[in-house]
Amino acid sequence: MSDGSTTGAAEAVATEPVKRTPAVTGKLKLMSRATYVKEGVLATVFFLSAFVAVLGVALIFLFVGWKALPIVTSVGFGEFIGGLEWAPTDGSFGILPLIVGSFIVTLGALAIGTPLAVGTAVFLSEIASPKVRAVVRPAVEMLAGVPSVVYGFFGIVMLRPIIAEFSGGMGFGAVTAWLILAIMIVPTIAALSEDALRSVSPGVKEASYAMGATTWQTIYKVVVPAAKIGIIDAIILGMGRAIGETMAVVMVAGNAAVIPRTVFEPLSTLTSQIVMDMPYSTGDHRTALFGMAVILFAISMFLVAAVRIVSRFGSRS
Amino acid sequence: MIRRTVALLAAALLLVGGLTGCNAGSGRAANKQLIVAGSTTLLPIAEISAEQYRTRNGGAKVLVSGLGSSAGIEAVAAGTADIGTSSRDLKEEEAGLGLVDTPVAYDGIAVIVNPANPVDGLTSEQLRAIFAGQITDWSQVGGPSKRIQLVNRDEASGTREAFRKIVMDETPFEKHAAVLPGTGQVRDVVSRSESAIGYISLGFVEPRFTSRRVKSLAIDGVTPSDKTVSSGDYPISRTLHFFTKGQPKGLTADFTEFVLSPAIQDRVVVDAGFIPASRQAGAR
Repeated sequence: MSDGSTTGAAEAVATEPVKRTPAVTGKLKLMSRATYVKEGVLATVFFLSAFVAVLGVALIFLFVGWKALPIVTSVGFGEFIGGLEWAPTDGSFGILPLIVGSFIVTLGALAIGTPLAVGTAVFLSEIASPKVRAVVRPAVEMLAGVPSVVYGFFGIVMLRPIIAEFSGGMGFGAVTAWLILAIMIVPTIAALSEDALRSVSPGVKEASYAMGATTWQTIYKVVVPAAKIGIIDAIILGMGRAIGETMAVVMVAGNAAVIPRTVFEPLSTLTSQIVMDMPYSTGDHRTALFGMAVILFAISMFLVAAVRIVSRFGSRS
Repeated sequence: MIRRTVALLAAALLLVGGLTGCNAGSGRAANKQLIVAGSTTLLPIAEISAEQYRTRNGGAKVLVSGLGSSAGIEAVAAGTADIGTSSRDLKEEEAGLGLVDTPVAYDGIAVIVNPANPVDGLTSEQLRAIFAGQITDWSQVGGPSKRIQLVNRDEASGTREAFRKIVMDETPFEKHAAVLPGTGQVRDVVSRSESAIGYISLGFVEPRFTSRRVKSLAIDGVTPSDKTVSSGDYPISRTLHFFTKGQPKGLTADFTEFVLSPAIQDRVVVDAGFIPASRQAGAR
């Protein structure tokens, strides 16, 4: 029964802050009672807002995970993640083609979108005059406000026939998805990269110019390397945006659940397959869709973790 | 989700109907109710008909549910539904159940290509080989040397299901085909891509809200038309049935008659992309 003494000690420790409280409230007496109550209520409100967000994430994760769990027992984890055949009506639930599809679409979009976005950010922070910036910046920000179904519509009506003409196919496939997604991730990457570039201390730039460096040399050798970590963060967040995009991808990807033989052939992604199948799926099929949601969840958690690690690494060096 | 809710609701209503013993046996009393269960393909027609029937005959209760053709046939045979709707014919083991068939519409699936494509017809075997990915170039079926671009429908589609049953038999679809989630999209893509091939309900081949055209192919030498579909000559066709236990009478007969009337046949059935059964009166 050594617990008794421990509890006693804990109580003793616990009473200590309580003793301090009168001193604190003593200070607060400068405030009226109404102000004091208001402050308390506000603190609670803000705490609840944050709590709801955290609770939301936790509940969604638990719900999706719980719904997805049976797929591990009925299909098997390896068969699910590594299976090459997605044919739910025949009972094949391999999502490897969809995972591969998601990464093909995302990485391609990043490869096209990143230079565009970082270029935009460099232009806005280093080169553009305030007048030009006042026009370009809102225009780029506006891209973020365009609904993704509009991008999809643009893709299917304008872009697809051009790609079809060029490739001799139908224009559904990775290339079309890349171009649409590249435009969609530009505002995310550009805005965050611009912040990173702006936070480079002016002294560093001035030193560079003072030594006779040109604008290009300063950008290339000084500013961009100094803002490197922030730009990498921006790219990772852009990747999160691209991998989670659904509507625009469904409309232009062609939705064939296979690993495409060329970049001009139809492919499908985790998100687009979920949205195509959800309305009619039942049983194992529905469970598999929840399993795909868990995979997406895992990927985005990994990306968020990557941002944190990169940032920490950056602040240390 | 919605479908499941509807199914549950229908099941509950069927139960209530069974318990209260309401049956459209005789008379047209307004408080009688009629239970229509079965095919999801026929669901839109049955639902709109029921709605219009209700407004015309104030108080008449027509309960419609879409549980699938087999469930509909089972329900009408067991007496839990007055009309079983079905998008397939009776199977051998269902033939002895004493069900009477009233065809309410015909559905033909047209195989469509771009008007610029010189190919005018295919055999069923060629069509199956094309959609299975075994024939990959138009030159293999008498066309120009161009890669065939396959357009398929999503698995939720009733048209895909019918096409799979009638054309594909047990052969699996080519998996690299583009999968589009709607008749309109299939039609649009085929109308714009010279080497594409797809399939849609016959009722949507003629342009409705667009000037873009597609060409339907003759299959086994038969061009799809209202006539060839309802006569059964066109191979990719099916009859949409109302099955009743014995000859329809009372409320059942009245509702069936309403569904076969021009108000439903010429508007609702045509809008759904099907061919009216009344247009072919006496064909079978």
